[in-house]
Amino acid sequence: MIRIRGMHKSYTTGKMVTEVLRGVDLDIDNGEFISVIGPSGSGKSTLLHAVGGLDSDYTGAIEVDGKDLAKLSDAELSAYRNETVGFVFQSFYLLPHLTCLENIALPAVFKRGAEADVEAANKRAREVLEEVDLSEKADVFPTMLSGGQRQRIAIARALFNKPQVMLCDEPTGNLDSKTGTAIIDLFRKLNEDDGITVLIVTHDPRIANSTSRKILVADGALTEVEDATEAIGGDDNNGDEA
Amino acid sequence: MRLTRLLGVVTANLNRSRNHFLLASVGIVVGIATFAFFISLGLGVRNVVLGKIFPLDQLEIVPKSLDLAVGPLALGGGEVIDQSKVEQLEAIPGVEVVYPKMRLTVPSLGVGGKEVLGTDLRSEMVADGIEPNLVTEDVDGDRPFRDFDDPEAPDYQAPEPCDKDADCGEDRYCGRPPGYREPPRGSGKKAPKPDKVCRHYIPILASEHVVELYNGALRRAHGFPKLNPDFVLGLKFDLKIGASMVSASAKDEIIREKGMLVGFSRKAITLGITMPIGYTKRFNVAFGKPDDAQRYHSVILVVPEKDDVAAVAKAVEDLNLEVADTGAEQAALLIAIFIAVFSLVSAVIVGIAAVNIMHVFFMLVYERQHEIGIMRAVGASRGDITTIILGEAATLGVLAGIAGVLLAFGAASTFDALSANYIPDFPYKPTSYFIFPWWLIASSLGFSVAFCVLGAFLPARRAARMQPAAVLSGH
Repeated sequence: MIRIRGMHKSYTTGKMVTEVLRGVDLDIDNGEFISVIGPSGSGKSTLLHAVGGLDSDYTGAIEVDGKDLAKLSDAELSAYRNETVGFVFQSFYLLPHLTCLENIALPAVFKRGAEADVEAANKRAREVLEEVDLSEKADVFPTMLSGGQRQRIAIARALFNKPQVMLCDEPTGNLDSKTGTAIIDLFRKLNEDDGITVLIVTHDPRIANSTSRKILVADGALTEVEDATEAIGGDDNNGDEA
Repeated sequence: MRLTRLLGVVTANLNRSRNHFLLASVGIVVGIATFAFFISLGLGVRNVVLGKIFPLDQLEIVPKSLDLAVGPLALGGGEVIDQSKVEQLEAIPGVEVVYPKMRLTVPSLGVGGKEVLGTDLRSEMVADGIEPNLVTEDVDGDRPFRDFDDPEAPDYQAPEPCDKDADCGEDRYCGRPPGYREPPRGSGKKAPKPDKVCRHYIPILASEHVVELYNGALRRAHGFPKLNPDFVLGLKFDLKIGASMVSASAKDEIIREKGMLVGFSRKAITLGITMPIGYTKRFNVAFGKPDDAQRYHSVILVVPEKDDVAAVAKAVEDLNLEVADTGAEQAALLIAIFIAVFSLVSAVIVGIAAVNIMHVFFMLVYERQHEIGIMRAVGASRGDITTIILGEAATLGVLAGIAGVLLAFGAASTFDALSANYIPDFPYKPTSYFIFPWWLIASSLGFSVAFCVLGAFLPARRAARMQPAAVLSGH
């Protein structure tokens, strides 16, 4: 379970301080499928990064299964990112000099206390490749793939260590509508079949409306909404993000 | 992060940025090559100078003398070292062995060399006597260095009568009995001659300096051939003790002996011949007084540890003796300065190269910031990022170090080849001017790794401190 209490986060540019999150609270149960919506610069990605342990420069508390992330050491926080969460980004962020299989197995490089068994890592990487229907792309470099295929590889990488939580930062932002829908369907399948908690940051009200909970980030506060289209505006039929 | 995984990441990173690293490592390669080349040159030169010309593990001790210059003359000197001083020297901590040396105090002439040079040379001889058991490693069993004429020696054999050399076999000759003194030829004096007996040649040791001096300089002046030291072993020559080309110095009587060169030794007198000390004792007593047998002109102390030399020299001073100035200290100082200067030069080159390494790593860290962010997102700690970058620097250091050492090897081999083919022979000309001990190679690699890691330290620190969220979101 993820429990956020009184979280403040601000950015400083020169002398100007912008407070994007003003003491927000949020509870997310295990196995939920949640979207975070809101205008650009509202703090959606900031919230996601903080929950994922990528950003520890905030005040307040974020507890995951009872552990306060702010109190973890760098090594403990790294282990948390490695084992508990999986990230999927809008720009995929695959390493171009590694094959798809090597990209997927990258978390194994930094796994603490793991056996240095390359074979086991490769076996697991092939399993998740199969899960995202790209078995034949194991030895292909990411630059040879389409956008949708790259995002599937990125998802496979996030799944490598069987995370409890998938944190997806506008995962369909660089994809066409059809491919985006397929990716969201994949997240839903992982959520339903494997019980993985999925937290998606999106601009797309249609994607948001397909999730079980919708959290609006606006003016530094979090608000749970029923209809994303109504909350942020936009065409529900338009899958492409603005 | 396991070593095998680290090596995999490091190798991949080095491979894809190889052009950057190749350029960055040029300075390190040149610096390490300079370091290895000049240190090995210094070691090689030191080996020749302090190992052959001025052996630093041997101190020659002479009586402290106060010479007084009076016009063209220097008055004073002439002191000797007696047996009690020898025993005191033996007791100094750090001294392994004491070699008493007794100089022949009467003039002598040497005549011989025809079998090697085609003509006999005639020369005044300076002779030293040393204990035979102190040079056993310098002679082989076929030509022993021992006192054959000492009647008190356990293996002494009384000489048998003979008429000609053939009666005595190859290793001996037919001559007058030991100690027989005869008037010089042409003096007009007559004395009864004892019957001839089979005599052993006096075993003679020479210093390698003599051959070096001959081959490097003397032979050119006389048009003689270059000598192979091994070939001249066994060379026989006549010795006339008491005779001199300076007529005023010649004694009334002479002792005729024959000598045989049996080996070369660092313990032999630099210019002259060295024989078992029993011979010089008997010759000195024969032309002097009985107590001359207990008066040594110098002793050699063997001090195995160079670190003990200073303390031993101080103890020697306290005994009112002094270390003969061989030039070793000045030579050692010059070589040390030479090594220090070039070490400094190479350190500056490598230091500048390290700055270049730093720039390249800063650039690479900037280029790879998204990659570093991704690594952090999938579980890399700050320590992992630091380890990867410093691992790349260390690997680069090892490769550059190996290249630098190989370059130094190549330059040294080229230098040696040029020297062998184009530089005329000179005394102590070595076959190689360089010594590459294992520690030099290890320290060259260590030096290279240390400077590369040092150069990459700040970039690695910056990479480790990057906020992954900021890098991945573009804030």
